[in-house]
Amino acid sequence: MTAAAIMTAVPEKRPISAGALATLLLGPIAIVNGVAFVLPVFNLLMLSFREALSGGGLGEAFTLENWTGTVTDSYYLELIGQSISTSLFITFLTLICSYPIALYLHRSQGAWRTFLLVLVISPLLTSAVVRTYGWIAILADDGLINSILMYFGSENGIRLLFNKTGVVIGLTEILMPYMILALLAGFGRLDHRIEEAAETLGAPPWKVFWRIIVPLTMPGIALGCLLSFVLAISSFITPKLLGGGRVFLLATEIYDQAIVTLNWPLAATLSMIILVVFGAALVFYSRLLRAIS
Amino acid sequence: MEERPVSLSLKITAFFMFAFLLAPVILVLPISFSADNFMTFPPSGWSTRWYVEFFGDTHMIGALGTSTLLAVAVTGLSLIIAMPASYALVRMRLPGANVLLSFFTAPLLLPTIVLGLAILIVFAGHNLLGTFTGLVIAHLVIVLPYALRVLTTSLGGLPIPIEEAASTLGGSPLVVFFRITLPMMAPGIVATCALSFLVSFDEAVISLFLTGPRITTLPVALYQHVETQADPLVAAISVLLILLTLAVVMIVDRTAGLTKTFVK
Amino acid sequence: MSTTRQNLPGHLSIRGLTKRYEAMAAVDNLNLDVAKGELIAFLGPSGCGKSTSLRMIAGLVPASSGTISIGGRDVTKTPPYKRDIGLVFQSYALFPHMTVLKNVMFGLEMRRVPTADAERRAREAIALVRLEGKEERRPAQLSGGQQQRVALARALVIEPSILLFDEPLSNLDAKLRDEMRAEIRDIQKRLGITSIFVTHDQVEALSMCDKVAVLNGGRLEQLGTPQELYEQPATAFVASFVGRTNRLRGKAEGDRIDVAGMTIRAPGRHAGTVDIMIRPHRMAMRPILEKAAADVEPTNRIRGTIRHVYYSGDILQYEIEAAQQIMTVEQATASGGAPLAEGSDVELAWRVSDTLAFEVRQ
Repeated sequence: MTAAAIMTAVPEKRPISAGALATLLLGPIAIVNGVAFVLPVFNLLMLSFREALSGGGLGEAFTLENWTGTVTDSYYLELIGQSISTSLFITFLTLICSYPIALYLHRSQGAWRTFLLVLVISPLLTSAVVRTYGWIAILADDGLINSILMYFGSENGIRLLFNKTGVVIGLTEILMPYMILALLAGFGRLDHRIEEAAETLGAPPWKVFWRIIVPLTMPGIALGCLLSFVLAISSFITPKLLGGGRVFLLATEIYDQAIVTLNWPLAATLSMIILVVFGAALVFYSRLLRAIS
Repeated sequence: MEERPVSLSLKITAFFMFAFLLAPVILVLPISFSADNFMTFPPSGWSTRWYVEFFGDTHMIGALGTSTLLAVAVTGLSLIIAMPASYALVRMRLPGANVLLSFFTAPLLLPTIVLGLAILIVFAGHNLLGTFTGLVIAHLVIVLPYALRVLTTSLGGLPIPIEEAASTLGGSPLVVFFRITLPMMAPGIVATCALSFLVSFDEAVISLFLTGPRITTLPVALYQHVETQADPLVAAISVLLILLTLAVVMIVDRTAGLTKTFVK
Repeated sequence: MSTTRQNLPGHLSIRGLTKRYEAMAAVDNLNLDVAKGELIAFLGPSGCGKSTSLRMIAGLVPASSGTISIGGRDVTKTPPYKRDIGLVFQSYALFPHMTVLKNVMFGLEMRRVPTADAERRAREAIALVRLEGKEERRPAQLSGGQQQRVALARALVIEPSILLFDEPLSNLDAKLRDEMRAEIRDIQKRLGITSIFVTHDQVEALSMCDKVAVLNGGRLEQLGTPQELYEQPATAFVASFVGRTNRLRGKAEGDRIDVAGMTIRAPGRHAGTVDIMIRPHRMAMRPILEKAAADVEPTNRIRGTIRHVYYSGDILQYEIEAAQQIMTVEQATASGGAPLAEGSDVELAWRVSDTLAFEVRQ
């Protein structure tokens, strides 16, 4: 026993210690993350406590003005409320549209499944600008839908672009791939033998769906909804282009305050509010997940 | 295993949802061959004039050049930075390796609008706005999480005994890494390159904050173009971008596997 | 502790080898000498420390304390790539991106053997494991057995001073396993390479190896020839792990042991609580009505009742309730008589010398 203790006390000879090697290997990524992630975000947080002077200048003193101003101003309160409710609505639509695709994908196999996966993932990797442009082509006054309506005798068509309807439709489609992938990841527990067991016990298809499939895929649904909500409330390109400057959401307001009005402290405060909403969504999600399992 | 047959109602619903999902991507193809001056659907005539227009548009071509150069630089750097990091995280049994991995992939969780603003403010104080260097650093932040995730998955999937075998046969750690580990990671590395390239090439929001009159990327130029006018020029460029995306998705599927990379 | 003692340190000499993970010792003070050319098995249940010991010998796991020397050279701190050891893995661990030939040549290349020479030797090794013609295949194009042969050739070709096998046959089906067992044994003897063979399969250990080291809970229970292990197990663990046993617990006084009111004799003198073990096929059984033949040798006799009879072709297995225990007795079937009926009262008899008794430490 004592001999063993003495042996372990002797350090092993190595050309370079494990700690030093790890530091060397992880150093570059830590620097990038520090310089372009941790530092800027911390700086942004600090900025939300600084006074905005006219012309983009910054006051030196610490102030709660931005925060108190934002959460007492009815315009910003409505903006935040609108952003949250719109994002929730979009999340719901995304779930409804994505679920059949995910279920179908889960049940298909081989090359056909790969092909369908390519169809799902390709939009995900296609620039949001390109896909939003596609929606302009569909929703515009002389776009696909209105051309069809006119063909069938409609006089004026309907206004789908540069209002909330357009933003909701576009964002729903943009977020679908994320939702589908999250659902698919959560479908692992879905075993067709369980469904068959339920059927042999006398459950009709709609009951199998509501009583077996939906509860079993609940973790995937929760994850997909979290992702969609978070992405919806922070998306910028689509609301800006499809809203045509007439739909105001948190993300577009942040951009306007930062670039147009040059009120960085306010933009920083709104950014932090988005992060607070994120945090709340995350807490809600983990509560939900615990309740499910 | 016998698969459960897919019911007709599910097939039909899934078909319509797929149509909805793919509609905007598919629609740009006919529009790109429009002969009209403005974007209308259906076009009143067909031509390739918008493709010609694109290749004659010095602003767009310049942006394409910047985007390509930027994506190549970011891809190379992300590989050089993420490779050693993933080795340390997967193989060195560091205490808290999971926490570190979460930390290094955290930029993915941050909304790009917030990250873009945050970087804008810091870069403004260091003359990095509107510079290539600034864009490279900012893109690295969002590309590295992807690279790290694919590489750690790839490395974590390698059987350790193979490396041990090489070691007992006389291969020093460096020889084992370059002769055994690296070649076995080839699929993961190809997938990392493809993804990194595309994520950087397509990035619009952060770039929007960092570009200016001096330098712009293709997605930013497209965004600004769409914001001011609706003509089929963007459709023509979109078709080219969609083809690029498809190529990358194919590469990822052939190498790392789509399911492994995108479905956890 | 070991029943075979060597005066000289062996070709492979292990002294006080210990591996601790946190507070738990995976390998605890292992002492072992392996003579040149010997094939020795590390046998034990999973988690007994046999694989950890092997990995320490290979240098893949650093030892917490103790020393390992090969041919008189202390290699305890030597990294695996400088140890000159061949290791055959359970999962084969072939390099998937190299051909069979390149796999086998890898070790020679590391030793800077000129390419032409290396290729000649690699081809010889491939021929030795009877894989001629498969040199340009990739591992994925080979069957499990063929892959294992490549792994063997790859380990052999570097002419290591020690060859280690880490459960190399456990991924093969039964028939292939028997074939490979004979083949490995044959090649090992022919080349005279000192070898260690880790296995949890006692048949493999007993039938292949010159000596067997039985490990349990990180400790060496016994080192001996297969016969020594079976006939003179040093501990109750060895007796029950190697071969099958019936186990009875009783109170001992001298050579007499009281089990549920019956007296059983065992060789040697014991005291206190003891475990008695008897091999099922060393017991004779007959109906009580038959007249007992005069014993030539000292014999233990107890009475019991047949509870179950299992017929499996060449063997009849009886489960007999005796001494408040269920005992198993095996008999070879014969063309004549029918098996005894369930419920019959029988007498069990076995030689005193076949009684293994172990004092239970409390």
